[in-house]
Amino acid sequence: MEDKLTKEEVLHVAKLARIDITEEEIEKYQVELKQLLNEVEKINEVKGYDDEILIAPWSDNTTLRSDSEGEMLDPKKVIENAPKHSGNYIEVPVVIGESEGA
Amino acid sequence: MSNYIPTIGVEVHVELKTKTKIFSNSKNGYGQMANSLTNVIDLGYPGTLPTLNEEVVNLAIKAATVLNCKIRKQMHFDRKNYFYPDNPKNYQITQFQTPIGYDGYVEIELNNQKKKIYIEEMHIEEDTCKSTHRGTKTLLDFNRAGVPLIEIVTKPCMSSKKEAVLYLEKLKELLFYSDISDCKMEEGSMRADANVSIRKNESDPFGTKVEIKNIGSISNVGLSIEKEIKRQEKLYNNNETFKEQTRRFDDKLEDTVLMRVKETGNDYRYFPEPDIPFVVITDEMIEEVKKTIPMLPDERREKYKELGVSDINTNKLVQNRSLSDYFNQLLDKNTNHKIASNLLLGDISQYLNKTEKEIFDTTLTIPRFLELISLMEDNTLTSKNLKEIIDIVLESNKTIKEIMKDENIENITDDNAIREVIKQIISNNQESVEDYKNGHDRAIKYLMGQVMKETKGKANPKMAMDILIEELQ
Repeated sequence: MEDKLTKEEVLHVAKLARIDITEEEIEKYQVELKQLLNEVEKINEVKGYDDEILIAPWSDNTTLRSDSEGEMLDPKKVIENAPKHSGNYIEVPVVIGESEGA
Repeated sequence: MSNYIPTIGVEVHVELKTKTKIFSNSKNGYGQMANSLTNVIDLGYPGTLPTLNEEVVNLAIKAATVLNCKIRKQMHFDRKNYFYPDNPKNYQITQFQTPIGYDGYVEIELNNQKKKIYIEEMHIEEDTCKSTHRGTKTLLDFNRAGVPLIEIVTKPCMSSKKEAVLYLEKLKELLFYSDISDCKMEEGSMRADANVSIRKNESDPFGTKVEIKNIGSISNVGLSIEKEIKRQEKLYNNNETFKEQTRRFDDKLEDTVLMRVKETGNDYRYFPEPDIPFVVITDEMIEEVKKTIPMLPDERREKYKELGVSDINTNKLVQNRSLSDYFNQLLDKNTNHKIASNLLLGDISQYLNKTEKEIFDTTLTIPRFLELISLMEDNTLTSKNLKEIIDIVLESNKTIKEIMKDENIENITDDNAIREVIKQIISNNQESVEDYKNGHDRAIKYLMGQVMKETKGKANPKMAMDILIEELQ
């Protein structure tokens, strides 16, 4: 097993996290991230892991909430928490491309 | 003539008609002041926890049922991780491993043949906030953040834009009729993406896939697929290759425009959402939901046709939900359904359009409508007379006969009275009688005109015509 990640792998992770990293940091993370991955790999060695996935640390099922309205935030409070706003909108620098989400 | 075979798949996002959001109890609403419908959960404040809305699960079960999907009895949610300003948690809660519905289909009618459009899966997820781009800034409105969505994904089983359009129309109709969504594409409560590739032969592997995102209307889905197929054909014909990419449809250019090339697969690092434990769907829940599904469009069409309603009227009725619901109350009534459909789609629709009312806002109860139909059927009330009193019919509670009396509308339906008038007219218009006998069609129209003039328009026209022809022999 390789004891470190490739430079490209580290850069890819940095890109996903939207951060810039220096050459020294790349070298450091090549080793550190690999160590983390090796630790996580150990989980796969536990027997019976594939039987049924565990998604939460308790065994109760979800209790559903009834569809009735509760209190909402005052829009003024909402925009106060943003560095910039334009009217009631939260303002951010223009983002190229479209949402990855929905 | 094109010698490529297109392969098309469609993904549709539909906003569910709930009172509150999927994971919080803030209001699910449209068109309100920006950032006025949020709470700490929608805004992704640290330490907040999502709670799943019961109605979202019910509506998703309903959608899975009307789309003929199998329903997963135990499901969970997954986190889809990405950084973007429309997503304050930096992940979207969606279903990746265990979509609530799978292996379904929608039936369309293509060139008089039924075809099943197969649904790969349908899952529940939260909507993102709405971003509006203005020059150098982007404006964010979190009212939409956390609005419940279902995403419905077809198999790549369509091969023409026509199929895709028919599928979307059918899907919209089904979801609208079952009260799952209001399906307004112009308000974004229904959004469609299309995946398009082309290849030379059925035996070839699929061509490079292009995804066209967020198309604003069903007709534009058709147009964008058509344009995209042409674009890909041109590239292949010039021996050019291209990478998998995402494009969007530009309304003004009426063509697809490149958004981004997919260098690598999307790296969303999905993992099960630990804040929402397993959701168990019981048979009882499914049975309860099934009880709330009203008669669906295809069944309505079948019933209307059986009752003698024309194809055109059948389709028009089904296109108008409230008229169709109203008409359904007549299904087991012994009446003339053909006249009923003509009245609803004719004079009554005109009145409803003029006054911007729905049929259920008028005073036309079913017993009064049945009276109206019967008076029209035996010609006691003519179409011409109905036009004069239609407003009163739909605004008052009087019987139709009372209205006719009040408005002095009386048709002479006495056979003998009409015959007397006609005999008189025939003897006074011998020239026209001769013309008629010599085969001049216009002559009978003239004579009928005289009858109506003499009776001040009160003679039952059908009866008068029959007697006139009889007397002319």
